[in-house]
Amino acid sequence: MILQQIVNGISIGAVYALIAVGYSLVYSVLNFSNFAHGDVLMLGAYIGFFSLMLLKVPFPLAIAMAMVGAGIIAMIIEKIAYRPLRLRRAPLLYFMISAMGMSIFLQNFTIVTIGPNFRTYPDIFPVKPFAVGNLSIGRLDLVILIATVIVLLLLTWLVYKTRIGIAIQAAAYNMRVASLMGINPDLIATLVFLLAGASAGIGGVLFGMKYTVYPWMGVLTIKAFVAAVVGGLGSLPGAVVGAFVLGITETFAAAYISSAFRDLFSYLLMTIIIVARPAGLMGTVAQEKA
Amino acid sequence: MALLEITNLSKFFGGVKAVDDFNYTLDSGHLHAIIGPNGAGKTTIFNLITGIYPPTQGKIFFDGQEITNLPPHVIAQKGIARTFQNIRLFPDFSVLDNVRTACHQQANYSVLEGLFPTPRRARQEKELTERAYNLLELVGLANRAKERAKNLPYGHQRRLEIARALALQPRLLLLDEPAAGMNPDETEKLMDFIEEIKEKFNLTILLIEHHMEVVMGLCDDIVVIDFGKKIAQGTPEQIQSDETVIQAYLGAGEEL
Repeated sequence: MILQQIVNGISIGAVYALIAVGYSLVYSVLNFSNFAHGDVLMLGAYIGFFSLMLLKVPFPLAIAMAMVGAGIIAMIIEKIAYRPLRLRRAPLLYFMISAMGMSIFLQNFTIVTIGPNFRTYPDIFPVKPFAVGNLSIGRLDLVILIATVIVLLLLTWLVYKTRIGIAIQAAAYNMRVASLMGINPDLIATLVFLLAGASAGIGGVLFGMKYTVYPWMGVLTIKAFVAAVVGGLGSLPGAVVGAFVLGITETFAAAYISSAFRDLFSYLLMTIIIVARPAGLMGTVAQEKA
Repeated sequence: MALLEITNLSKFFGGVKAVDDFNYTLDSGHLHAIIGPNGAGKTTIFNLITGIYPPTQGKIFFDGQEITNLPPHVIAQKGIARTFQNIRLFPDFSVLDNVRTACHQQANYSVLEGLFPTPRRARQEKELTERAYNLLELVGLANRAKERAKNLPYGHQRRLEIARALALQPRLLLLDEPAAGMNPDETEKLMDFIEEIKEKFNLTILLIEHHMEVVMGLCDDIVVIDFGKKIAQGTPEQIQSDETVIQAYLGAGEEL
């Protein structure tokens, strides 16, 4: 029973992780929380949905299209909603407000153009779960976990092993010093939004398959944001750890206390962690900036 | 020939005139120094040259091209590199990666290639790593290439910062208090080192320094500023005997 809950928790945590890394990536470089991230996820979910239903593409291609589409949308959002502020050195608060505006715009744009109804992904994978001993593992959950692991490994490789990753890390430490080393901040911002958007795109498809697709589904990603904060905003491993902590806490609270109290207990735990460790589980204390 | 030309440069922060109508021409191939009391506006001049602040007024030309209001990364790529008064390394990067961050603009593969391994990328990557190692060799840190920058002793961090600046392949190197916090022995070694890199890389160097033995021993042209204004310029001998400088530095009638 406990093992079963851990399995369920990991499966939920995996989706949170995909979303949380996007929040963390953007925060690490640009120092603000992109509250339109959830809406990029929503658009990714729709791109995946319509690719499957209207274009009838195979499932892996639908995921690829959602990733590319959401990545490009995120890049465009950066260009129109954040870059002008950055070039004018606006206070960070304005970025958040611009992000919230973008979020409301995207939700309403979707309601007006696509419609407010809930849409359900077709069953790509058999609903019947695997049985491993006493454990039952949903096929979709397994796909989610595998996809998450692949995306996170790719992202890790990119950020920690490639030169572009080194540039992103340098910018994350100090954008100004990085620019004095010849690193173009605009290029880094574009890249970071592309990566965050692409991971939100696949996150949206998986989220949509597990639940449903609707214009304000991005609101749910606030949980992933909380996970990113608990893990230490700006830290990629932190975002992943925070996401799994949140996922497992949620399922345990639902199973052993009451599903009505699920969010109450999980958020209580999150609050305690934040109060005890303001920098989050893996975060470092804010660094001095040039 | 003038490598850097600054005309009527001013920077006001509200009512504070950090730099006030500053004119300066810097010939290539020399060692120049900016000196002045604390808060005189020396670092602000560096920040204006490197594009961190837009000037309130005035123009800056580098090698005949106007660079006023260009973004910092473009100015860096044109060949102006700098170090910082307070060390600004990437503390969690390895020593090698600190140097490699500044090697980026020499790689001319595209972003897409950056994401996918291609033979051309691998070759360039190898060349850049070699170049970074050579620079570390030069500053005597090759044997610590894999260590984290923050674990180096202070003097080595300063040298690493210079190596990182050299990785940009600059023509003009700005050093902001390179000898800060160094003892006389370290300072002397640093002076030799600055001479060495100047010759080796055919650099023009402009430095801010409070250690007078560094400035007087090393530089052939010194500009003195006080309250954002240039009050004197000349050779070490001229500066040492300049009345205005002595007043600004020492206050009238006080001992050295």
